[in-house]
Amino acid sequence: MAAGRRERRRGQPGRRGFSGVPAKTRSVFAGWDPSSPVAGRSDSGPGFAGDAGGAGTGWHPSGGGGLVSLFLASIGFGLVTSSVLAIAAVGFTLQFGVTDVLNLAFGAIMIFGAYVAYLVNQAGGSVWTGLVAAMAASSLVSVLLNAGVYTPFQRRGASPITMVIVSLGMTLIIEFGVQAVSGGTAVSYAMNSGSTFKAGGLILTWVQVVIMILSVLVMVGVHVLLRYTKLGKAMRATAANRTLARNCGIRTSRVITLTWALTGALCGLAGTVFAIDAGSFDATATDLFLVLILAAVFLGGPGQPYGAMLGALVIGLATEVSAVFIPADYKYVVGFVALLVMLGVRPTGLLGQRA
Amino acid sequence: MNQLYLLNLLIYAAVDAMACLGLNQQFGVSGVTNFGFIIFQAAGGYAAAILALPRDTAYGGFQSYAGGWHLPFPVPWIGAAAAGALVALPFTFLFGRRLRGDFAAVGLLVTAVLLNLLVTNYRPFLNGDAGLSLIPQPLQGEYNPQLAGYQWALAAVAIVICLGVYLFVRRVTESPYGRSLRAMRENDVVADSLGKNLLSMRTAMLVTGGAIAGLSGGILVSYITTWSPAAWGYAETVVLFAAVIIGGAGNHLGAILGAILVPVGFEEVTRYIPTSNNLPPNLIPSLEWVAIGLLIVVFLWLRPQGILPERTRVIAAPGLASRARPGGDGAARAGGDGAARAGADGAEGPGGRAAMAGGPPPAAPAGATVLEVAHLVRDFGGVRAVSDVSFGVRSGTLTGLIGPNGAGKSTLLAVLAGTLPASSGRVIYLGQDITPLPAFRRARAGLVRTFQLASEFKRLTVLENLLSAVPGHRGDSLHGAMLGRRYWRADESAAAARAWALLQRFGLAEAANEHAGDLSGGQRRLVEIMRALMAEPRMLLLDEPMAGVHPRLARQIGRELVALCAEGMTILMVEHELAIMDEFCDPVLVMAEGALLAEGNMAELRARQEVVEAYLVG
Repeated sequence: MAAGRRERRRGQPGRRGFSGVPAKTRSVFAGWDPSSPVAGRSDSGPGFAGDAGGAGTGWHPSGGGGLVSLFLASIGFGLVTSSVLAIAAVGFTLQFGVTDVLNLAFGAIMIFGAYVAYLVNQAGGSVWTGLVAAMAASSLVSVLLNAGVYTPFQRRGASPITMVIVSLGMTLIIEFGVQAVSGGTAVSYAMNSGSTFKAGGLILTWVQVVIMILSVLVMVGVHVLLRYTKLGKAMRATAANRTLARNCGIRTSRVITLTWALTGALCGLAGTVFAIDAGSFDATATDLFLVLILAAVFLGGPGQPYGAMLGALVIGLATEVSAVFIPADYKYVVGFVALLVMLGVRPTGLLGQRA
Repeated sequence: MNQLYLLNLLIYAAVDAMACLGLNQQFGVSGVTNFGFIIFQAAGGYAAAILALPRDTAYGGFQSYAGGWHLPFPVPWIGAAAAGALVALPFTFLFGRRLRGDFAAVGLLVTAVLLNLLVTNYRPFLNGDAGLSLIPQPLQGEYNPQLAGYQWALAAVAIVICLGVYLFVRRVTESPYGRSLRAMRENDVVADSLGKNLLSMRTAMLVTGGAIAGLSGGILVSYITTWSPAAWGYAETVVLFAAVIIGGAGNHLGAILGAILVPVGFEEVTRYIPTSNNLPPNLIPSLEWVAIGLLIVVFLWLRPQGILPERTRVIAAPGLASRARPGGDGAARAGGDGAARAGADGAEGPGGRAAMAGGPPPAAPAGATVLEVAHLVRDFGGVRAVSDVSFGVRSGTLTGLIGPNGAGKSTLLAVLAGTLPASSGRVIYLGQDITPLPAFRRARAGLVRTFQLASEFKRLTVLENLLSAVPGHRGDSLHGAMLGRRYWRADESAAAARAWALLQRFGLAEAANEHAGDLSGGQRRLVEIMRALMAEPRMLLLDEPMAGVHPRLARQIGRELVALCAEGMTILMVEHELAIMDEFCDPVLVMAEGALLAEGNMAELRARQEVVEAYLVG
């Protein structure tokens, strides 16, 4: 009786709230994931102790010869994760730097974008068409989120902590809004991930290569934007000192709106490539990925785009390479430890100067 | 069935109210935004479970866990509270540094997500994802838990404990210690500069809140007999935040109301939504979460103070005898009759200036050096804001500090007060090297600063602002707060008398029980100066105390400061208004581009070419 209510309220396993790791079906390190839809409940499933070396469900290094190739392969996966992470982290950090909002709903909007791409994909479009649609939709939602929620709160002088609470509220609204529509089951894109190929010990699918190329293009694009365009300079000026920028004739409110549009598009892009890379996703799939994004952002220093790129590379590689040595379920711990250490010891980041 | 339903509601309400009270004490009262609150409830739940359960080989070994001590009834609940408190300790490291509140909150949120992941995936410790079940209920050997009487008793005990928690948090919040906690919530840097030990206060709040959360988890587990990671997802913390915000952050009755409205009431409402097979799966639970998010955002916009706002604590003026003072209004009598006035005040009780200027007489005799600065440097990244500054301030002087904008005056003041650490160099105060001391220790030693920007505690009354600065108050510690009003009443009335005397002298007695945030700019400057005086300083560091103040009032402040110095106070004051410097300050220090340019009285300085070029003209 009591347990029944508890279940109704808080105990819906694997559905409400945080549901665990996305099923990384394409990763050889996927391991046994109790919360993934495929693996089933753990009541009957194998525990962690029985998991090591369990044939077919997970892989654990046991031989010396395999370790090197596994290590190389993990670097390949690490680069893919880094690529996805870099897009998200640069978007997040630009958002925070220019607009001063620590937007925890970033992960939720990623999933929103990924789901838009899924709908396009279901309607018969290719996943790449879906990706463009996801960017447009996420960009729109981000602009609306800023104009409708964050800016009014900021105008009223809300404290940073109030802004974080508001963004957490928006996270619930968007994330579970998506779940209300999607029904809460994991979905996958209908796409051909292409043949795998090996290059110098790295084993990658061509889709993963495309993700990496996309990521590099985004990084170059952000660099060009910030260094060589008027908008990019205005963004940097606004980030450094909004009042001063406005007094110098920069239309800061327009710069901020454009920043939300741009970072929103990056968010949709990141969400879709995240979903492609993960294989399948549900509405709460980015809860953990947000930890990696925050780790990358704080490693590089919040508000520092180049720092976020470096942070993404480090965290992505560390996450996947660590999965060679520790059970894959715990690979997120590396990002988490990095984040806590940065917060505790040097919250301005490795490259940051802002106090 | 109806009876069981009611019981269920009562126990959940008691548990949720307890958790909300703990969170309100942290977030609503102390400004410690603990996004990982649910971790502590979870810790309590698991602790109670493994203390009460037999070894994991029991029941055919279908679950595995550490512990399994099979201990009798009160032990699991005590263990739950202890576990919540112990788990809170490591988190103080996030608050140990000068970390932005929102960054610390993110750190806790992330910790909650990750701990849930770890417990979910690691089975041997706490049975992983499946969680623990068949947890023994209290005294189930002696009584039959299935009986209604047993359940009523359990509900009654839960409610009594909840009441106890309410009395505890109320006692803490309504004490002088609670006032310090609220001051920290309003502005932690300023509270630090008034001698409040932020780390100690935050640690105390994390630990006591953690114990309350742990206890609530223990009671819940004893009732539902299961506990698993799905029960404490990070989003559960958000539900509790929603409850506190909606009920009224800072108001403990509001927290209880919020607990009844949000976690309990919300569930009951959705229970009556008809379900239909045509609806997509998970629609109702998903929409519940959407509604929680909406409630938070809408309430923060429309009614940020919540349904039951934090109440204004009105403190009555002491007896009329000490208020009726010869000579009428303080403003009219400001000036040269300081000695006579001090005498009159002394006769009336502890409101006199002698008490105001600091209990013990200054250690340094008149003319001796109180503060000595040697080769002080402060860098910001590549910018050297203060570069190799050396000077001394003699006792009993009102020393001025002038310089063009960006000269480094405010930075120098912040380094002297310990708000910013020095990059190199030394600060000697009363013969002691205080360079490594944090701001609150310097304030306790009598070196107190004010701020250039408005820094009053907005949601404290003017009187509370003043009282918050009183050093050595018996009620200003968790221990003192727990001992109750009788323990600290004498200190409180003495402090209140001093505060009223100050308010009358500066003509703000009328506004004593108004929120400081509602005052005019000039009045707020006064509040800040009075608050600094309440801290019983030996030396004051004033950062533009007269900025934005009416010139007549500025003169009055100036005269008061001179009078204070005549009684042994030492003051270093940054000010832009040269007329003020001419009239009141001697000597005057001139800074430009981070360095000390000149020192002397204003007449000498006006004659010096480089000073005129650096500041007086350009």
